Amino acid sequence: MKRSDQRIITTHVGSLSRPSELLTLNAARSSGTADVTAYDKGLAAAVTEVVMKQHEVGIDIANDGEFGKPMSAAYDYGAWWNYAFERLEGFASPESIPETEHKKSSVADLSLTTFARRRDWQQFSEFYHDPTSGLAGSAPARRQRRPVCVGPVRYKGHAQTKADIDHLKTALAQAGIEEGFMTSVAPASFARGEDLHYKTEEDFVAAAADAIRDEYKAIIDAGLVLQIDDPSLPDNWDMIYPEPSLEEFKKFSRVRIEALNYALRGLPEDRIRYHICWGSWHGPHTTDIPLADIIDLVLAVRAQAYSVEAANVRHEHEWRVWQETKLPEGKIVVPGVVSHATNVVEHPRLVADRIIRFAKIVGRENVIASTDCGLGGRIHPQIAWAKLAALAEGAKLASHELWQ
Amino acid sequence: MKRSTHRILTTHVGSLPRPDDLMALYAANASDEKLQPRLRAAVGDIVRQQAESGIDVVNDGEYGKAMRSSMDFGAWWSYVYPRLAGYELSEEQAKKGRGAWTFGSKERKEFAEFYADEASAAASAARQSGSSTAQLYGLTCTGPVKYVGHVAIKRDTENLAAAVRITRAEDTFMTAVSPATLQILPNVYYKSAEDYTWALAEAIREEYHAIVDAGFILQIDDPALVDIYDWWFSMNDDIAGYRKWAAFQVQALNHALEGIPEDRVRFHICWGSWHGPHKGDVELKDVVDLLLKVMAQGYSVEAGNVRHEHEWKIWQNTKLPDGKLVIPGVVSHATNVLEHPELVADRIVRFAKVVGRENVIASTDCGLGGRVHPQIAWAKLGALAEGARLATKQLWA
Repeated sequence: MKRSDQRIITTHVGSLSRPSELLTLNAARSSGTADVTAYDKGLAAAVTEVVMKQHEVGIDIANDGEFGKPMSAAYDYGAWWNYAFERLEGFASPESIPETEHKKSSVADLSLTTFARRRDWQQFSEFYHDPTSGLAGSAPARRQRRPVCVGPVRYKGHAQTKADIDHLKTALAQAGIEEGFMTSVAPASFARGEDLHYKTEEDFVAAAADAIRDEYKAIIDAGLVLQIDDPSLPDNWDMIYPEPSLEEFKKFSRVRIEALNYALRGLPEDRIRYHICWGSWHGPHTTDIPLADIIDLVLAVRAQAYSVEAANVRHEHEWRVWQETKLPEGKIVVPGVVSHATNVVEHPRLVADRIIRFAKIVGRENVIASTDCGLGGRIHPQIAWAKLAALAEGAKLASHELWQ
Repeated sequence: MKRSTHRILTTHVGSLPRPDDLMALYAANASDEKLQPRLRAAVGDIVRQQAESGIDVVNDGEYGKAMRSSMDFGAWWSYVYPRLAGYELSEEQAKKGRGAWTFGSKERKEFAEFYADEASAAASAARQSGSSTAQLYGLTCTGPVKYVGHVAIKRDTENLAAAVRITRAEDTFMTAVSPATLQILPNVYYKSAEDYTWALAEAIREEYHAIVDAGFILQIDDPALVDIYDWWFSMNDDIAGYRKWAAFQVQALNHALEGIPEDRVRFHICWGSWHGPHKGDVELKDVVDLLLKVMAQGYSVEAGNVRHEHEWKIWQNTKLPDGKLVIPGVVSHATNVLEHPELVADRIVRFAKVVGRENVIASTDCGLGGRVHPQIAWAKLGALAEGARLATKQLWA
């Protein structure tokens, strides 16, 4: 994977704003009225355009904006994982299934709870239930239950993933971009709804790992950098009520990291980056687990690069974690230096300051400047692109100072 | 004015969330007799709540400034128009809405789609609730400006005085709007913009004196001083023209402040509290010298949002004059995410190391009331207080 050898290079977390034509195509597709050829053509064109746009704005490691992961409204926080259920067997929509308790973990004395019982949601319940609280498309509008596992989990998304890969590779070649990445969801980030099929939570996650491995392989075999999206690692903490002990939580999480590593077995570490974030909804995030508490688990993932939120006010101070925790030789930190959590566009000078802070600790060649989370579906498209431009401009300022 | 002699003191910019029933009274245009008992009790409550949240320099939450719905960005300046004679509503002007004020904004051109979306959302909110700023659309100066708000300001100062008799605080402040802000509304009466601003300064000084005479710190709210660059001058990148304009505004403000001891005044600027990109904001470095000309002891400046956070460095090159205070925003209304107390502490310590710990009072970027959900506003004040405690520990170690 490319690194910042001569200057600070830039990337982002994945989701970019879908153009309205694509949203229309997605809506038609989800209602079953889309012409398959027209959809594919429209998608390919949109991917080419979004790759070109990333290039123009100064993003070095580009992707397809996750355009192959269908989003049918301008504000949509869930496409990054919802896409997977179309590509997997074994899940059913929760509507027809009576609600059950999540299974207890067999390794730790805890289980995940529902959205509504998240601790941050309980503490700020008035805010979360206020339709005018600025949570466009987020909390109140969000589905309350995840798809339920009702049978063996198997991967069936080969054709869709191949199409995504083809679109991206064509677009990268046209834009003259050397390195592209594609996101794929971590086992624990999609196998965390109710499960009626497997005996234990751990069996469920292991089966999920076996299934999704096909997608990981396809992306890597195509020569793209694989980004594993795993908000579940930090985010599960808030989904356990009452607050568990850190020790129990880490037991619970370690199994999930092991499952991910099992899915990644034999795949080249230097083609993999691992993304965590604490959930992208515009809420207070007071119950986010500190990075310091899980950094060992993050670094246990068989990846070369680690993409971590560092640009929002709940996590910005955590750059200090890297003073205490040594980044292993050869690894890369991909910190968020612009964020979806505010409409205000980061000043390039602030972006540069943030990059330099990381570079001084872990070494300039070990930093790739990025976003906190995907920008698409979370803020207005014009602001999303202005933030990517601020990111590129800040990286230039930082490079100038770090290589002078 | 108290300063951080033994620990980092905390304050905030002014607006705090209003109780529903108080907003309902304002929305119904309740008579003074009906409003006052509820207002008096609410001011008592809000002062106590601030003290309980760890805020040292408190105010009345701007409760005397009519706010009619829980999301409302404009009460801090709309309050004054019932207190000023000389204005009439022009239907013609009203149709232009906010555009009548922001005609020269590069940012609004660059982010036209965003602002159109925002405007439609804001318009529907205004229809539902009668947002304060929308009530100003079309107001035009058509006669001599005169301060007629004596009853209202007397009520406000008495309510606050009663509240701080019960709940002790380190210090107490009350906000009032600047001449530069007032002159945003169009004028057809005065011959020149300068005459208009000067007349506004002469009128509003009565409110300033009433606040100081009541024993409170006067906070001048002057977002316009920096906002207007984007609204009127950015299209042509006209920094020189803007500075000329701003220098005159400072002169007019100082005229209004004549006779008021500097150590009873703090001066607040911010770049407007709406949740927009703010890419067109003038840089603090381009205006900081003018800011420091204002005859105030404390300067309250945004430093807790991503457009202005980096500007703490300006104080490395611009010496804060002896005896003055910086009141930086270390928590912000620009995000729903709650500032981590350690981040708050980092921000405070950064300022303290540059200007001296005794010269920093930790604050918010702007008023929180009407701009974030009440639960989040209070949590942010809590984070501010906790961060100040952490910073104090480091700075007095």
